[in-house]
Amino acid sequence: MAVVIAASGAHAQTRTEEIERARREKEASVQPERVSSFENVMLQFKNRKIMERVTAGYNGLRAQIGSMATGSGFAAGPDFLREDLADGRIRISGSAAISTNLWQKYQAGIVLPRLGAGRFSLGFDAARRDYRSLEFYGMGIDSSRRNRSDYRLEDTSVDATAAFWVARHVRVGGSFGGLWTDIRRGNDSELPGTETLFDDSSAPGLFSQANFLRPGLFGQVDYRDDPAGPKSGGSYVAQYTLYDDRSLGQFGFHRWDVDVQQYIPFFNRSRRIALRARMTMTDAKAGQRVPFFLQPSVGGSDDLRGFRPYRFTGPNAVVYNAEYRWEIFSGLDGALFVDAGKVMSRAGHLAFSDMEVSPGFGFRFNARNRTFMRVDVGFSHEGTAVWLKFNDPFTPLLFGAATRQPQY
Amino acid sequence: MKRLAGILMITLACAADGLCQKFYEDDPLIREPIPLHVTNAASRKLSDYYDILSHTLATPGEKHTKGVLIPAQGVNTLGDPMEGAWWERRHYWRRMSAEELQRGPGNERPPATDGPWTVVSAKTEGITPGFVILDRYNRRYFIKFDPPSNPEMATGADQIASKIFYALGYHVPENYIAYFTPEMLKLGEDVTVEDRLGRKHKMTGRHLTEILSRVHRGDDGRYRVTASLALPGKTIGPYRYYGTRRDDPNDTVPHEHRRDLRAMHLACALVNHDDSRSINSTDVLEDGPSGKYIKHYQLDFGSTLGSASDKINSPRSGGEYLFDWKKAVVQLVTLGFAVQPWARAHYPDIKAVGRFESEKFDPDNWVPEYPNPAFLNRLPDDEFWMAKQIVNLRDEDISAIVETAEYSDPLAAEWITRCLIERRDKIGRSVFVKVLPLDRFKVNSGFLEWVDLPVLYGLGEPLEIRIRWAEFDNKREVSRGIAGATSAQLPTMKEGGYAVATLESPRRPRQTIRVYLRKRAGNEEVIGVERTW
Repeated sequence: MAVVIAASGAHAQTRTEEIERARREKEASVQPERVSSFENVMLQFKNRKIMERVTAGYNGLRAQIGSMATGSGFAAGPDFLREDLADGRIRISGSAAISTNLWQKYQAGIVLPRLGAGRFSLGFDAARRDYRSLEFYGMGIDSSRRNRSDYRLEDTSVDATAAFWVARHVRVGGSFGGLWTDIRRGNDSELPGTETLFDDSSAPGLFSQANFLRPGLFGQVDYRDDPAGPKSGGSYVAQYTLYDDRSLGQFGFHRWDVDVQQYIPFFNRSRRIALRARMTMTDAKAGQRVPFFLQPSVGGSDDLRGFRPYRFTGPNAVVYNAEYRWEIFSGLDGALFVDAGKVMSRAGHLAFSDMEVSPGFGFRFNARNRTFMRVDVGFSHEGTAVWLKFNDPFTPLLFGAATRQPQY
Repeated sequence: MKRLAGILMITLACAADGLCQKFYEDDPLIREPIPLHVTNAASRKLSDYYDILSHTLATPGEKHTKGVLIPAQGVNTLGDPMEGAWWERRHYWRRMSAEELQRGPGNERPPATDGPWTVVSAKTEGITPGFVILDRYNRRYFIKFDPPSNPEMATGADQIASKIFYALGYHVPENYIAYFTPEMLKLGEDVTVEDRLGRKHKMTGRHLTEILSRVHRGDDGRYRVTASLALPGKTIGPYRYYGTRRDDPNDTVPHEHRRDLRAMHLACALVNHDDSRSINSTDVLEDGPSGKYIKHYQLDFGSTLGSASDKINSPRSGGEYLFDWKKAVVQLVTLGFAVQPWARAHYPDIKAVGRFESEKFDPDNWVPEYPNPAFLNRLPDDEFWMAKQIVNLRDEDISAIVETAEYSDPLAAEWITRCLIERRDKIGRSVFVKVLPLDRFKVNSGFLEWVDLPVLYGLGEPLEIRIRWAEFDNKREVSRGIAGATSAQLPTMKEGGYAVATLESPRRPRQTIRVYLRKRAGNEEVIGVERTW
């Protein structure tokens, strides 16, 4: 009965009363709005720009992961980058990285990116590398897997690069620098040293290394829609570099690099075909030879993905890659690919004959249209290779190539 | 058991005393009662990261369960939300002229261009650069730009979508298209600017130059912007699409059950407002008749009509969530060969138009960027309530609204207008088959009249409608059929009595409409409408 009385007394006579009663009941228990602890953490994460600060580091100093040659193991180290100096007219970078296999890489650079009303740029780079166990299988496409060996490369390079935007999508430039190289016994105890399987005739430069001056010219047509995560357009790079042996007079050579990429989107860019052809040719100067460690190689995470890194080495190399990429959801792309490549003793043998072929599949993890991580699985007659990388597989050739010569 | 007994006693008492009833004297309530004074509402921000994460992984809010649907709340007995803090009756209830549609929430306070614009805050980083200015009358505006790649796109979209939302009844700010030259800008005193790392710096001319270098500048040297007039009152952060504000005594209906929010799905679908999430709303503490109350606004329409504010929107926008387990698995398994409809859409090569089209548009399957609890709870009667408003935007209404975008390219206006018209019609056709599409019930000369909306708007053939009349006992909530009463003519009703007409169509046996009438002061009036499907 008490319940009935209470109900009668509280019952509304109008809709207005009913609504007002609900309001008054809530008014009696209003509390400050608040967000959960977890949401607050996420809010502060964004408001305090934690990710940006971690990425940018302290006054440009931050941690860097990766960025070393395949085979190094997990690499990390401090990285310094300031792009805001002199209102963005000066960009300074520097890094030091060491890997779990104790490989080391040091780099410093300064770039003036906006000279001449933004049409001209000038950059200086210096790099020091100690790659303790690079693999070498011998020369040629017929090199045997059983001849897997390792050597240690230490080199230092200094280069200056100037580039000029001829048109919106076209730039040309030149570079000039020096390269000091040293080859030693490899550090992988499970592999025989290259010097135990090869000699100076089968691995030129194995026992004596030269110092080089290297002037170069390059040009690029780049009309990719977004160079950091292209979905359409193309990039065509050609580069010539003269390696002038200044110390021994035995290893001077010419090198030509071509990197052609084309992206063909369809179904509203949710799918695309990505094509790349990369070719490197070398030509020793009269009476001289091309050091084996400066000859191009194929195999590894960025070209022939079903083969081990540096599986094939030769004076000339060509790699063709075709990828079908599709969006699984907005942060993940799937990829099916076929890689084909070879090394050859003579330039001009670019046909598809005698190619090593490696099909595979992969996943691209994207944020803001950039691939920040990928997993690729490549297959070949030599086995299956799984790659976890923090780059786009088609990262194009860098101008001047100071820190990517040889292209590891 | 004790509780059950209590409920039973209350029910019996209600029946005996007439305390329980379906309709009250003041039904249908057109306007919410005067809101209570809000004493202590504090500003708080919400995390958009959390919003995406929580809504994607486990959409919050109360949901329908199998076999138990939760009808929309916050509505009157006619099924309309009550006017007030969330929504107002506009174009559908009182046809707005072209001038009114173009005026929207106001057109008399654009930023003055015959004086300096004093910049009082800015952001140089982020997706969309912008700043806040005071004009010569000390009015505060939020300034937003077009991306360099797509002149007029974001600013045009903002005008059109905000005006459409206004016509559909929502509260929106006064947004103007304005033009300025860099010489008009003047830095305020002690203005700070936040860099990309969140560090505050004293703002200088360099910062302004940096902002202006990243946005579109017209051939005449002027910048075209959206100038959004600051809302009156104190902004206290966004609302959520679920739950209620704990500090607002007037906010008693869980947002996921508000008809105006559930049905907003279709309004967003119309203009492809896939960014319709909490952070694009705001609550404002405004002066009301009894003190302060919280009013709820929709904001930031720059990411509509295929625009993503700083670029054209992704083609998947509106077609798919950013992440959807099922669809991701389908794409994974089929290697992308299961081509989604949005992937086959065609877009015009018009810079001022983002990825906006109508051919592949499917209102039933349109989605925002991630699940929205209110949108997910929408029912056919929620959709009908919005669809009837949308189809009431006639071709000339849409043209008038598109004019406010001030597109310099007539093709842009033409494309947007055509797409909006076609999307409007698709919405009508889609929704009007889910419930009996009859509305505007009224009594005229002793007959019940209504409008068959598809017929009125050219979206369908007339339905054969059959009527059954019954007396309705409002206190006991039971009805008793009246033999032979099967026409639109009202049965005889006594003063203070109720009747209910059940409208059915043989072609749609599951769909009915119950129209309730009451006789008061000698006149019969429609006081309630219920739909089933």
